[in-house]
Amino acid sequence: MKTDRTITILFFLLLVMMPLDFFLIFRVAPTEKVMGDVQRIFYLHVSLALGAFLAFTGVFVSSIIFLWKKKIVLDSVAGTCAGIGVLFSTLVLITGSMWARPIWNVWWTWDPRLLTVLILWFIYIGYFLLRGGIADKFKKAQYSAVIGIIGYVDIPVVRYATKWWNSIHPLLSQEGGGLDPVMKKVMLFSLATFAVLTIFLFLFRFRLARIEERLEILKKKMED
Amino acid sequence: MSFIGDALTILRKDLLLELRGRESLSLMLFLSLLLLVIFNFALNPDKDNVSSMASGILWVIFAFSGILGMGRMSVAERDEDAYLSVIFSPVSAESFYLGKALGNLLFLMIMECFTLFFFAILFDFEKIIGLLPQLLPALFLGTLGFSLVGTLFSFLSTASRYGEILLPFLYLPVVVPVILGGVTSMDMILNGKSGEAGKWIQLLAVFDMLYLAISLLVFRYLIEE
Repeated sequence: MKTDRTITILFFLLLVMMPLDFFLIFRVAPTEKVMGDVQRIFYLHVSLALGAFLAFTGVFVSSIIFLWKKKIVLDSVAGTCAGIGVLFSTLVLITGSMWARPIWNVWWTWDPRLLTVLILWFIYIGYFLLRGGIADKFKKAQYSAVIGIIGYVDIPVVRYATKWWNSIHPLLSQEGGGLDPVMKKVMLFSLATFAVLTIFLFLFRFRLARIEERLEILKKKMED
Repeated sequence: MSFIGDALTILRKDLLLELRGRESLSLMLFLSLLLLVIFNFALNPDKDNVSSMASGILWVIFAFSGILGMGRMSVAERDEDAYLSVIFSPVSAESFYLGKALGNLLFLMIMECFTLFFFAILFDFEKIIGLLPQLLPALFLGTLGFSLVGTLFSFLSTASRYGEILLPFLYLPVVVPVILGGVTSMDMILNGKSGEAGKWIQLLAVFDMLYLAISLLVFRYLIEE
């Protein structure tokens, strides 16, 4: 029941942080000189990417620990994280596309960063296809852990894609020195907000997964 | 028996099976020929554009024929739970994986040489045969990546209720770095920029090592009951 209380606390925290974040993004942050208002989508885009990264790292770590300790609860953790990761990376792709239309004049282009993120998305869709196809709980956990580990190989590729190949994707770390101090603060706040959102979603969905499991056990008992 | 010795025994078993049944290799060769013909009339290549299209066409064919062959190989293992007898033998899971991967590597390489040969004929591009020694490192490392990931994932997918159908969905996204490295380096060599291909061949080697290490670590969990 400790989780329940944490969920409630995080919920109220988000109730304050989320509107404040949007207020900061649309009212406080200065308008970028070249791109104009469209640039504001960066704050969401980067924060969503951070959320997706946290979630996929969660899949990776819990998959490793699962193979080691064989505790089925770790599979629920991995599955929950993967769901959040897919949701966030979908939103990363959508927000990126919305920004690219006015700036690059296309919805989509073959850039290494874009390609590798899309591939990441495909990998975790495959992860869910596999999970849907195996009835045995333990086998499902074990097999998806294998995908959760090998699929994570793509994360460093996403990270370094902009360095290895000639990418046109903007680099925050490079422009960090020239970033307006107010913009920087808004970005940091946005990152923090979405990190809290990721944790909140995780705990919420994880609790749901546990309840579903308990329900299944009860149903089985009633049948017997 | 040693680790490598066991792997070679598994490889021998697969070669014997293939020699007697001729199941996966002939299917792979047939599919790649079919795809070559389709690409040939669909893209309508001529002397000027064939060298810029070649590596893309070839790697798509390698990837798809490879999926077919590797899928068959693990279905053969899953049928009647044949792989269980391997688990109960003193062969370690890692040797078993390595043997299967070597078998896949060999069959894929045969399929690729076959495809290259018919590509030269159908697309009127004999130059590719002459460049073969230069293409070999990229071809070998790319194929190694295919077989390392493919062997692992074909075992994964055959365990699900979708069977082999699931293989492309799991396998293709993960091998994208390999396809990327293979296509780009081959493209550079074919278009007279072999000097720049080295970087891509290094990338292939790095991914092969990563996939080999991860696969050896996790494969035992796929066959343990």
